[in-house]
Amino acid sequence: MATAARPDASPSSSPAARGPLAGGVEPLRAGKGNSFLLRKLHSLSGIVPIGAFLIEHLLSNFEALKGPLAYANQVKFLNSLPLVRVLEVCLIFLPLAYHALYGVYIALRGKANVIYYPWSGNWMYMMQRWTGYIAFVYIIQHVIRQRFMGVSLPEHPGAAFHKVQMELSNPWMLAVYVIAMIAVCWHFSYGIWLFAAKWGITPGETARRRFGYVCAVLGVVLAVMGLASIYAFVGPNYKNAPDDVMPAQTRLSMPAPHDASLSQGYLARI
Amino acid sequence: MAEKVIQIEIKRQSGPDAPATWEKFEIPWKPGMNVISVMREIAANPVNANGQDTTPIVYDSNCLEEICGSCAMVINGKARMACSALVDKLEQPIRVQPLTKFPVVRDLSVDRSVLFENLKAVKAWVPVDGTYDLGSGPRVFPQQQEVAYPLSNCISCCCCMEVCPQFNDATGFVGAATIAQVKLFNSHPTGKVLKEDRLRALAGDGGVQECGYAQNCVQVCPKQLPLTEAISDVTRDVTLQVAKDFLRA
Ligand code: SF4
Ligand code: SF4
Ligand code: FES
Repeated sequence: MATAARPDASPSSSPAARGPLAGGVEPLRAGKGNSFLLRKLHSLSGIVPIGAFLIEHLLSNFEALKGPLAYANQVKFLNSLPLVRVLEVCLIFLPLAYHALYGVYIALRGKANVIYYPWSGNWMYMMQRWTGYIAFVYIIQHVIRQRFMGVSLPEHPGAAFHKVQMELSNPWMLAVYVIAMIAVCWHFSYGIWLFAAKWGITPGETARRRFGYVCAVLGVVLAVMGLASIYAFVGPNYKNAPDDVMPAQTRLSMPAPHDASLSQGYLARI
Repeated sequence: MAEKVIQIEIKRQSGPDAPATWEKFEIPWKPGMNVISVMREIAANPVNANGQDTTPIVYDSNCLEEICGSCAMVINGKARMACSALVDKLEQPIRVQPLTKFPVVRDLSVDRSVLFENLKAVKAWVPVDGTYDLGSGPRVFPQQQEVAYPLSNCISCCCCMEVCPQFNDATGFVGAATIAQVKLFNSHPTGKVLKEDRLRALAGDGGVQECGYAQNCVQVCPKQLPLTEAISDVTRDVTLQVAKDFLRA
């Protein structure tokens, strides 16, 4: 069958199909690749479990305002959760690592242009990336130094207050913690706003504005709580906290009669 | 009285691979001039500010009333339509350069076929061709028209893509205009038939997920399309489509 040569109708990205000029941004790869899933997973992981963990962590830190013993009890309680080490890996370390690494990948591929277009949304876009970088660096050192170096807190919850207090006694470290606290709370609260906007929960402009106020209040509350907890460690109230406020916590004790005469009397009676 | 002149600097390049240089012009002022009419004055008398003969500027334009979408350029650092860029409202010297994210054909003329390719990739049309008469289309209620009309105003100028931090070589992001057109054609009672195809296309690499919600697109759009709203709605639809496809697989 003789057919006239027809231009290729398939959406091809070959230069020939795109006109005379090569270069420029590649057209959509319709229906191809996995980046949709990976990106949505990144977005979701920022809310659950990472965001949920952040709130838990800030609430736990807030216990520090009640002093070393209350703080130790909170650490002990968290470490007594069933399957706590499995939870730690599955709900904290793995999602956090994914969110961090994929987040850096996203950030590196964006071309911020606030210099030319200094609009508020564009500023927030850039801030989300910079607060992400700050969180990335901070969390790596925080996990290494507080979770894996020095006294192991899961075994010695009583040492928690002292350990943090020692860390924050260095003014540089204190500055790092304050900056990171603000950056992380910013990243999380704007992240919730972005999540709602990008998953189609708040498509309307008014809804987005209103939800913006909600997220701003949440961010400020979390940051203030976080900074207050930092103050608990460096302020005058609990200066020079003891190394370990529950030294006996390593051994489990069962409730048993320990008054010898009492138990002997009991035995004598039967 | 000394004659008023307009100072304008234009980034020029004689071909796709030629080096770019800035050329300065001083053009006699006339009332109501815009950037396109300044370039017409240059074409009438192609002499630069140093008094040297030069070639007329190559640029795209057509309607001169911000409706054809062809004259998008970067004027004083911002992407906008040259025909509606009034000289009296611009700081001088006016600096004009081609859109930065599209290959330059010559001077201010750029190749924006990527938008056309993207619109084809998402089937941004209402399929009415057939071997028999399809009859009259279904009624579109006024409420639906009010949602669709603003989206139908897109003039394919590509400004929304130029200003988008995510539209670049690394991401190959589709850009806001195409996403808005998906919303438009998916809401059309006859165009709906391709809804699933469009949503699946947008879940591909470079699809809706690449949007970082910087909202530059909606700020810059000369036709005030509700782009961020469209991105929100379409991303939700894409997500639901992907979930449905996953569960029905
Ligand atoms: S919201 Fe921002 S990232 Fe998304 S398309 Fe618009 S300009 Fe690009
Ligand atoms: S959506 Fe607006 S900025 Fe983008 S191509 Fe259409 S008219 Fe231009
Ligand atoms: S010439 Fe048509 S939009 Fe400017």
